Amino acid sequence: MKKIFPAVRRYFILILLSVIWIVPAISIILTSMKSRADFFSGMGLFELPSQIHWANFTNALFDANLLLYMRNSLLISVWKVPIGIFVAALAAFAITRLEVKYPRGIFIYFLIGMMVPFHVALVPLNAFFAQHGLIDSFLGITYVYIAFGLPFAILVLRGFFNSIPKELDEAAYIDGCSRVRLFFSVILPLAKPAIASLFILDFLATWNEYILASVLIRDRSRQLVTAGLMNFIGQHGTDFGLLSAGVLLNVIPIMLVYVLLQRHFVEGMAGAVKG
Amino acid sequence: MDDMEFVGLGNFSHLFFEDLVFWGALRNNLVWMILTLVFMISVSLGLAMLLNAKFKGRTFFRGLFYFPFVLSGILVGIIWRWMYNVNFGFLNEFLSLIGLDQLRQTWLGDPNMALFYVFIAALWRGVGAPMILFLAGLQTIPEDVLEAADIDGASRFKKFFSIKLPMLKETFVIVLATQIIGSMGVFDIIVATTGGGPGNSTQVLASYMVQQTFSFANMGMGAALSTIMLVIMMIVVIPYVLFTTKER
Repeated sequence: MKKIFPAVRRYFILILLSVIWIVPAISIILTSMKSRADFFSGMGLFELPSQIHWANFTNALFDANLLLYMRNSLLISVWKVPIGIFVAALAAFAITRLEVKYPRGIFIYFLIGMMVPFHVALVPLNAFFAQHGLIDSFLGITYVYIAFGLPFAILVLRGFFNSIPKELDEAAYIDGCSRVRLFFSVILPLAKPAIASLFILDFLATWNEYILASVLIRDRSRQLVTAGLMNFIGQHGTDFGLLSAGVLLNVIPIMLVYVLLQRHFVEGMAGAVKG
Repeated sequence: MDDMEFVGLGNFSHLFFEDLVFWGALRNNLVWMILTLVFMISVSLGLAMLLNAKFKGRTFFRGLFYFPFVLSGILVGIIWRWMYNVNFGFLNEFLSLIGLDQLRQTWLGDPNMALFYVFIAALWRGVGAPMILFLAGLQTIPEDVLEAADIDGASRFKKFFSIKLPMLKETFVIVLATQIIGSMGVFDIIVATTGGGPGNSTQVLASYMVQQTFSFANMGMGAALSTIMLVIMMIVVIPYVLFTTKER
């Protein structure tokens, strides 16, 4: 009896909290089924419409250009994530494996870059982009994203590389392995779990970034997904069904990835802590 | 850029001595930081304690509470903006549904409470991140220490304050630092919910900086605000970075 009570209490608290956590999802799903007319004809949020207003989804994708915004974000992530992780891996390799001077100083330099948010670099970046015609350029924003993504990737990879025993390096060198070979054939393959976690976290960070995307990209047809979603508030401020459909179309793919790869999310976070 | 003139510290003196919005934004950042330190940390620590034991469904619950964190602040802001909608939103509709019509609120339209309501959205989104860190920290506490305490007759209360909390010290440093830094830079969720309004009541330094720079084309003021943010953040960032890179 004594053992059962805490278990029941635990489930009670957790289920109660879960309900609170799921409420926004319910709200969005209910809304996405309704047309604008449904709301203004006085239908309450909790009433179900006689038929689901699927047009919300197609309108969000095509008329409101969500598909285009998602394609743009994907296009940038596909370049940004692998390049960023590769450069970070090189830096982490140098900090942990090569006898560079002041490895701690270099690491601190990168870490401070991680702590400083994008906003403080916004004014100079904006001026620089404007001067060099880089506004609206995917190449320009990809470059900035790579730079801002490096510190976190270096933090995770440095922690992981440090956990790979140094004896492996020595064995490889004795076998006549060059440093480049050591990096590509020994360290990188061993770091696969960390790299897998980083791929996901880095992709999400790019996908979710808003402030640079809203400032450095101004052409409507080149906008990224977060800035595109903000258009939903402005243009379609009163069309809640469309808004909710847009939100759902964004959440569902992320949720699928999340459910499939949940392990990597948590490992990536914990990896960053171990340092 | 071309028609700018040098004003020395003019932008700073304007912010400090004449600009009430700046002080309001700074105050909001501090309020946000206090709310974060009190609620984000207590809720995430509580969840971590609940989810640390072995029981059926633990992975599901962990996944559920962490999930909103992988959504962008913009997306979460849009979701909660709709939750708080005065006419059709979930909260007011729900209050009517259970017969509490008189409790319907203007939510984000209430200048005194809007920041707090936005914070609820941020709490919903963000609580999973420190939760995972606390869970990782709790797992490093050796089982036998807790068993020894049990044998000595320590109460749960005593075990929490005398064993678990002290052993979570390193986790606390990480959580506190990241949360303080995050609070000073809060932006996305404010922009997507209230945009700083009503009447600048939810304006924070970052949103005010963006407004000055891009809506009012006042680059100098934007840069001055950025500098102030940077200085405030470095007070936390530098000791924190030195701590995490300490040779162990």
